[in-house]
Amino acid sequence: MSAPLSLFDRVWARHVIVPNPGGEELLFVDRNLVHDGSTFLAFDQMRSEGRTVRKPKQTLAVTDHYVPSAQRATAPASIANAEIRRVVELLDINAREFGIEHYGVHDARQGIIHVIGPELGWTQPGLLIACCDSHTATHGALGALPIPIGQSNQLRHVLATQTVWQKKPKTLRITIDGVLPAHVSAKDVILAIIARIGIGGAVGHAVEYAGSTIRAMSIEGRMTICNMSIEAGARIGMIAPDDTTYTYLHGRPFAPNGNNGADWDRALAYWRTLPSDADARFDRELSLNASELAPMVSWGTSPEDSSPISDSVPEPASVTDAEKRGRVQRALDYMKLAPGTPLASIKIDRVFIGSCTNARIEDLRAAAAVIQGRRATIPAMVVPGSTAVKRQAEAEGLDQVFLAAGFEWRDASCSMCGGSNGDLVAAGQRCASTTNRNFEGRQGPGALTHIMSPAMAAAAAVTGHLTDVRTL
Amino acid sequence: MTPFTTLTAVAAPLDIAKIDTGMIVPGRFQRLPRRAGHADYARVFLHDLRFDAQEQPRADFILNQPVYQQAGILVTGPDFGCGSSRESAAYATLDFGVRALIGASFGDVYRGNCMQNGVLTIVLPQPVVAGLMAQLQAAPGARMTVDLPQQIVTAPDGATHAFDIDATRKERLLEGLDDVGVTLQHLAQIEAFEKQYRADMPWLAPIL
Repeated sequence: MSAPLSLFDRVWARHVIVPNPGGEELLFVDRNLVHDGSTFLAFDQMRSEGRTVRKPKQTLAVTDHYVPSAQRATAPASIANAEIRRVVELLDINAREFGIEHYGVHDARQGIIHVIGPELGWTQPGLLIACCDSHTATHGALGALPIPIGQSNQLRHVLATQTVWQKKPKTLRITIDGVLPAHVSAKDVILAIIARIGIGGAVGHAVEYAGSTIRAMSIEGRMTICNMSIEAGARIGMIAPDDTTYTYLHGRPFAPNGNNGADWDRALAYWRTLPSDADARFDRELSLNASELAPMVSWGTSPEDSSPISDSVPEPASVTDAEKRGRVQRALDYMKLAPGTPLASIKIDRVFIGSCTNARIEDLRAAAAVIQGRRATIPAMVVPGSTAVKRQAEAEGLDQVFLAAGFEWRDASCSMCGGSNGDLVAAGQRCASTTNRNFEGRQGPGALTHIMSPAMAAAAAVTGHLTDVRTL
Repeated sequence: MTPFTTLTAVAAPLDIAKIDTGMIVPGRFQRLPRRAGHADYARVFLHDLRFDAQEQPRADFILNQPVYQQAGILVTGPDFGCGSSRESAAYATLDFGVRALIGASFGDVYRGNCMQNGVLTIVLPQPVVAGLMAQLQAAPGARMTVDLPQQIVTAPDGATHAFDIDATRKERLLEGLDDVGVTLQHLAQIEAFEKQYRADMPWLAPIL
């Protein structure tokens, strides 16, 4: 009888080419995802060294960070900022030169890299997925092993070798049991976890999310949870595949379908061997009761600065740890918030629904359900996570719900999450945002970000202040 | 990358502490491609220290003195390369023509990135660095020698200073082996792994 293994241990072990217990091990990369960020540096370096991509079929490139969310028909030629235009063009040039498939500005498969990977079935249980982005853990929601890498030297290494050197992290299982109350979503679960363990709470660990709440959750919700693992310091977040996963994957373009269905059956048989053994050991364990959770909003400049909407802005004076007290005070100064202010009274200037965290079809449905028959009282925009999500939402009539409520309905892009494409929150403006980071200046210099779920962001659009969607 | 063995070059004294990677390559150049010839990254190296708002060279900045146009060695203040992990800082250093830096301390990530690009960072005790700085300031354009096989720096006055370097890093620099080169030494093992993996997972064949 072999030793019990966790999902993470099993998938890791399956990919070790050069073992080196305790040190960096050489791992096989099944699939590599490249976006337009600063990745041109990796290609520039490869070109100057005369290197080629070793396994071009195992890499997929897509433009998402710098692509405009409006006036797409004439892009990239119409992108006013020459540097941004150049970055978008460079991915196209580099992909062609290095023989990589690329979903460009006008491709129906284009979208945010972490949205399209699962959507196309490129992401599958048991595969090692490398991606030059800190939110790569999203792919772990399907039971893949996500490895975030750097955009220059590490990406170049994956392209040139189809391998990656990694030190095996410790393991942390977070078990969430119980039924989520109405209007409490996956976003609220992960914000509650981060608020509890802190942004450094899972550093050095691969997290497995488990429990009945996760089992009952859609793949979209699971992706929202895994996506923000890095906001608790974990580079890897995973969820064991189950029938929800297999149903989601079946029939997607890259899902196994050859040999008259025999390939699917063989893949499925393998996937079913992946979940953690009942007696698998984890270096750490945490548990959470879903039924006690409430809609969350952030009030500070780190995702851990999040509280239930019924709370107030904390009093720095009541924070016992001196270092944390100073940090909270600085956060409130930046956020222009007075201690003790009820969170639900904070006025909002604009709303952004989008990003790799919350721009999948289920997120848009949740926001549309809140906004249906109501009107936004402040500027608000929806940026679907992929062109396919946009088309599906339009087929369901969600675009009409948003447009009738006064929202802008844009094209798939990372957009206002980090503002790389120029979609910025103005200095001093306060934004209710479905994104993953509320760092100082994340959405633009001087921008004030509150992160929350799509339903909560939609509620804020209606009232113009942070709002408990349950009371709307 | 180009192997590093022995380098004799003009050494420039850059007597400023804590030059971070954002000063080595300001953030607004993050979208700058690095084309063949690398003139662009040579230009942005320490850009705001070297050039004013009108893009004119600052006459009072040491690297703008004609004698340092060919500097191949920099003697730096402490913590050179601290700050963000941007690899462009190492590219700019190399493209400016610098192959060796000598200081009392360096930013960790920057140091690793330099090694990957064939640029040697040498840590010497602060009094030794201060002595080198003084000699170079007294004799602008003086040359120094860095002997990696012997792990010795020769000062303008002829004095020699031994330095430490991790044995693996030394070997990689001497052979011109970056991470990719090291990994490809395992190529037979990688190919054997892939063959077995493909056999075990036939349903992945369309994209493996």
